[in-house]
Amino acid sequence: MAKDITAIEVTDLNLNYGTTHTLKNISMRIKSHSVTAFIGPSGCGKSTFLRCLNRMNDFIPSASVSGSVMIDGRDIYAPGVDVIELRKKVGMVFQKPNPFPMSIYDNVAFGPRIHGVKDRTILDGVVESSLRGSALWDEVKDKLHSPANGLSGGQQQRLCIARTIATEPEVVLMDEPTSALDPMATAKIEELCRQLKEKYTVVIVTHNMQQAARISDDTAFFLMGDLIEFGPTDRIFTSPEDKKTGDYITGRFG
Amino acid sequence: MNEKTPGAVITAIASVSLVIMVFLLYFLLQEGLPALREVSIRELILGFDWYPTEEPPALGMAPLIVGSLSVTALSALIAIPLSIAIAVFLSEVAPTWVQEVLKPALELLGFLPSIVLGFLGMVVLAPWLQESFDLLSGLNLLNASVLMGAMIIPIVASLAEESFQAVPRELRDASFALGATRWETIRKVVFPAALPGLLSASLLGIMRALGETMVVLMAAGGAALVPVSIFDPVRPLTSAIAAEMGETPVGSTHYHALFFAGLILLAMTLGINLISMWIEKKGKERWMA
Amino acid sequence: MSRKYVDRLASAVLWTSAATLVIVLLSVMAYILANGAEAISWEFLTQPPRDSMTKGGISTPIIGTFQLVLVSMTFAVPVGIATGIFFAEYASAGIFTTMLRLCVRCLAGVPSVVYGLFGLSLFVIFLRFGSCLLSAGLTLGCLALPLIITASETALLAVPQDFRLASYALGAGKWQTVKKVVLPAAMPTILTGAILSVGRVAGETAPIIFTGAAFFAPNVAKSLFQEVMALPYHIMVLATAGTHIEQTRPIQYGTVLVLLMVVMGVSSVGIIARARLRRKRK
Repeated sequence: MAKDITAIEVTDLNLNYGTTHTLKNISMRIKSHSVTAFIGPSGCGKSTFLRCLNRMNDFIPSASVSGSVMIDGRDIYAPGVDVIELRKKVGMVFQKPNPFPMSIYDNVAFGPRIHGVKDRTILDGVVESSLRGSALWDEVKDKLHSPANGLSGGQQQRLCIARTIATEPEVVLMDEPTSALDPMATAKIEELCRQLKEKYTVVIVTHNMQQAARISDDTAFFLMGDLIEFGPTDRIFTSPEDKKTGDYITGRFG
Repeated sequence: MNEKTPGAVITAIASVSLVIMVFLLYFLLQEGLPALREVSIRELILGFDWYPTEEPPALGMAPLIVGSLSVTALSALIAIPLSIAIAVFLSEVAPTWVQEVLKPALELLGFLPSIVLGFLGMVVLAPWLQESFDLLSGLNLLNASVLMGAMIIPIVASLAEESFQAVPRELRDASFALGATRWETIRKVVFPAALPGLLSASLLGIMRALGETMVVLMAAGGAALVPVSIFDPVRPLTSAIAAEMGETPVGSTHYHALFFAGLILLAMTLGINLISMWIEKKGKERWMA
Repeated sequence: MSRKYVDRLASAVLWTSAATLVIVLLSVMAYILANGAEAISWEFLTQPPRDSMTKGGISTPIIGTFQLVLVSMTFAVPVGIATGIFFAEYASAGIFTTMLRLCVRCLAGVPSVVYGLFGLSLFVIFLRFGSCLLSAGLTLGCLALPLIITASETALLAVPQDFRLASYALGAGKWQTVKKVVLPAAMPTILTGAILSVGRVAGETAPIIFTGAAFFAPNVAKSLFQEVMALPYHIMVLATAGTHIEQTRPIQYGTVLVLLMVVMGVSSVGIIARARLRRKRK
């Protein structure tokens, strides 16, 4: 296992919303084929930081970013970067399951189709392998052409994961993917995260510290736009170096 | 103080709408149906001769009905694609400052009195058409349809914009995160999701065009003929009613026939209204699922 | 890179269609302004038409339009607000409410010329008002009613539920709560709705042609049972029915400009006021 290859290298990243300094001098190295968790109280900037990694913040006109985010040796904020290619490489799963109002099959095939795959046999293959990859195949294989909205919340979220991995990304970003789900569905997604790192680099934002402890290899703690502490999860949860991290983990605030 | 009284009074006043609707139907039927005593329904609807003041009068409304339908169809053809383009622009493409200017402007345009459009059709568009295409008169189907298009663009565009806005933000995010371009997101995600709303918006625009009077009265040319080209004059149902009612003796066959024309209009617009309501309901149910 | 090319092309097409609309709109406005401004003078606004309407001003149609608006709103505003209160506060799910909702929606779609037929048979003939200010005003009122109902209901529903609960907690009854708490909170929004319906009513022609609009009236109507001149109908008369259509063009342009200023002025006030209220709520 090539555990120590860098997937994403962030250097001195700053983000301003208008005059609000939302992210302050963030630098970190996210390891390839690992699960990295971002924790911190709400409003600390962890979701905003996640969205910097596939440039989803581009849609907020007042947001301005400085610093660099290197993925595959290229700065994704350099001029001339193809955002479309970037987002194909860095997929994202959102807080609330957001399947398109189409069939299960069309949801998963959406990405490959817009990226030019027309051949039915290839699409069938991608749909099956992606749904297997998100542990949903057995539940939906007989109703691939029924509407995705008919699935349960947990199934919808796994469908969204399948939809994301169908474009064969290198990185999968997850923005509090279980916050809208019940404990059973959450357990399934967590299990899935551990499997996903075999093939992808997973970065997950969570408000649930137990979740971070259960599934992640590395953990980053954010507070008011600052990256307070970043390191192996076992160490962060057992012997945090910063007092604020300790206070948050032991539930003294947040 | 008795708490029941105000509620009863409010309910009683609220029934006024019901009363108006009932009276409206009652009077149109009462004044319209007697036309059938003297002319068969077949001749009234399918007859091709509309000479209401001849003796005996010829009261075939087919040219009027075809007139209404042709202006409506042509104006819908002009206005609906443009309206949807404007709605897509406003909802998905325009920067905020453009939205803030254009949305109220579009709404204001919806208040433009139809008489003003009809007037422009007579004094500006008609002479221009006449010269450009070497016609006998510029007051024709095309002229009225262009103006009618302008009339319904604000209605269709505003409603269409609302249905684009009703598409959840999360769906766009999901599409962008998969690497779709803005146009792909619009075409493959936003547009299909908004489709019921767009259909309903278009139908309401068509309903408005069918019932609009002043534009066709002034710009359509007024000849009760079935048009064979877009440069032929037409006389839609609404303009026949508005032009002829004033000079018709109350209670004459012609008078009843004009009320019958009103009934046809009412039936068509109510039908479209009900269909659009049904589509809106279906659309909402789809989101709930 | 063809996907990006398509994306840019689509944006260009969308920008172009919006720009075309704006340009056409602005040039039409400029054209009317340029042609109408010449006709407008103090005399034009304050004198009645003279010499078979080929000279003089348009004071009688201006005042007639205001009278029509006044009569229609006197009917439509109270009834519309009461109906809005019914839907927002009193209506229980049932056949009556469903029917009433259906009626309001259908009335909103009835063609204006059909309202004219309705006004002719109910007010002019059946109730024997004759062709007059009252008949025409009430006909316009019926046309405006669905607009005011919808605006009122929306405004009332936007009043936070907490207000009602707080009032009930103080021991107020339902009507007291509606009258003292909910209605005052919703009133500004309801009034902007009413203003917008004035904009719609003032420009309507078809419903008044055979219910009360006069081809020509020497004086302003002094009672509800006299016919009135109205700006939109005056334009139609001068442009289509006069014997001096070409000669009176300047008067026609002037009248169009005055009507536009009245209608667009009132509507802009409504639109701006509503935008302000919405912003305040946020």
